Amino acid sequence: MSRQHRRKQRPKLRSFYVWHRYMGVSAAIVILIVAVTGLLLNHTEDFQFDSDFIQTDWVLDWYGIEAPDTMHTFLAGDRYITLMGEHLYLNRREVKGSYSQLVGAVPFDDMFIVAISHGILLLTARGELIEHLQDKDGVPAGLKQIGIDADGAVVVQSSHDYYQPDADFIRWKRREQDSSLSSVTWATESLLEPRLKTALQHHFRGEVLPVERVILDLHSGRFFGRLGPWIFDAAAVLLILLSLSGSWMWLRRRR
Amino acid sequence: MLRKLFIFLLPTLVCSALLAEAVYQEPEDFLSETFAGKVPEPAVIWLSGERKAVTKQLLGHRYPSLRVRYWRDQQRSAWILEEIGKDLPITIGLVVNDGLLEQIKVLVFRESRGWEIRHSFFTDQFKGAQLDQSNGLDRDIDGISGATLSVRAMKKMATLALFLDAELRKEDVAPTP
Repeated sequence: MSRQHRRKQRPKLRSFYVWHRYMGVSAAIVILIVAVTGLLLNHTEDFQFDSDFIQTDWVLDWYGIEAPDTMHTFLAGDRYITLMGEHLYLNRREVKGSYSQLVGAVPFDDMFIVAISHGILLLTARGELIEHLQDKDGVPAGLKQIGIDADGAVVVQSSHDYYQPDADFIRWKRREQDSSLSSVTWATESLLEPRLKTALQHHFRGEVLPVERVILDLHSGRFFGRLGPWIFDAAAVLLILLSLSGSWMWLRRRR
Repeated sequence: MLRKLFIFLLPTLVCSALLAEAVYQEPEDFLSETFAGKVPEPAVIWLSGERKAVTKQLLGHRYPSLRVRYWRDQQRSAWILEEIGKDLPITIGLVVNDGLLEQIKVLVFRESRGWEIRHSFFTDQFKGAQLDQSNGLDRDIDGISGATLSVRAMKKMATLALFLDAELRKEDVAPTP
């Protein structure tokens, strides 16, 4: 190669350097986000990102997550049993699991008996689940009401009849529709205290969005809105060009 | 935009989860088959005190309820237990006979992956398993690639059923005078 030809090549290579640098700087922030979130996603179980939830208000607002305004509450003794979405609470304490259609709740001995449309929950006074009784456990189908009779026994009204459990809630027997039924105090829906309602709504929002979801959205660019994935695509293209231009310049220099 | 995405994704995820539920055998049928149609009355064992602590140690977390239902005929006990594989509970039927695992069967599978654990080539490994001195299974169970969490759930439930059965048999032993 002649000296003149080499002189012509130098500015060309220099301009490539400049472009290479600009591309690198432009893609740097996005690549950093992708790299860091990629590392985190590889260890979601180690860091429990799949079971931890976002509590930060602005992120929850950004995702448009709102607690339901309507909720069903029963006052059982001095405790509120509330169903919000699929979350069940004994006062402020959430009962493990997801539930639907709260029918009623009553205090019984040192427990709380909660009727939902497809079963009965036995709860301790601390909100621990003793047992979730279902159809297969002999619980009458289609529960409509739950109450306590004059003798202190639990009575439920199903879609067809009235039933009563034994002392251990293992067997259920049909209850005659006689005058004794009139002594039953049925659980009725009540209003939740405003402060408790606010606390539960706050808790509900903090149980919806897993950390893993946000990291995934950051990784793909979706977190940044409609343009996010396009920006991340552009960064990916820049990264491809960077690797090609870098390799090309390295080869040119060797020659 | 994110709100729309979330609103779109949530029902999709819920629907796919519901569609993924596969009932291989109803728990009632499992019990009926186990006891040849003469299902004994159910009873409950409480997970309190020492038992609660051991259960937590075996599972790596608390069992979701404080009492567990079982069906027992002499030295044979049947259990229907649930354990989360990755996201959703797997319902497993177990039969313990005189301290040895006689049968383990997936009754309801709700996860999208790992359903291979229901096959006999996997469940047969548990037959005759018992607890060792450290409350673990007395044998190694070969896993299934792609079903690691379901396999883990199955092993945990096998251990729990054997432990609870041992607790029942402890209660059978009359105290020495």
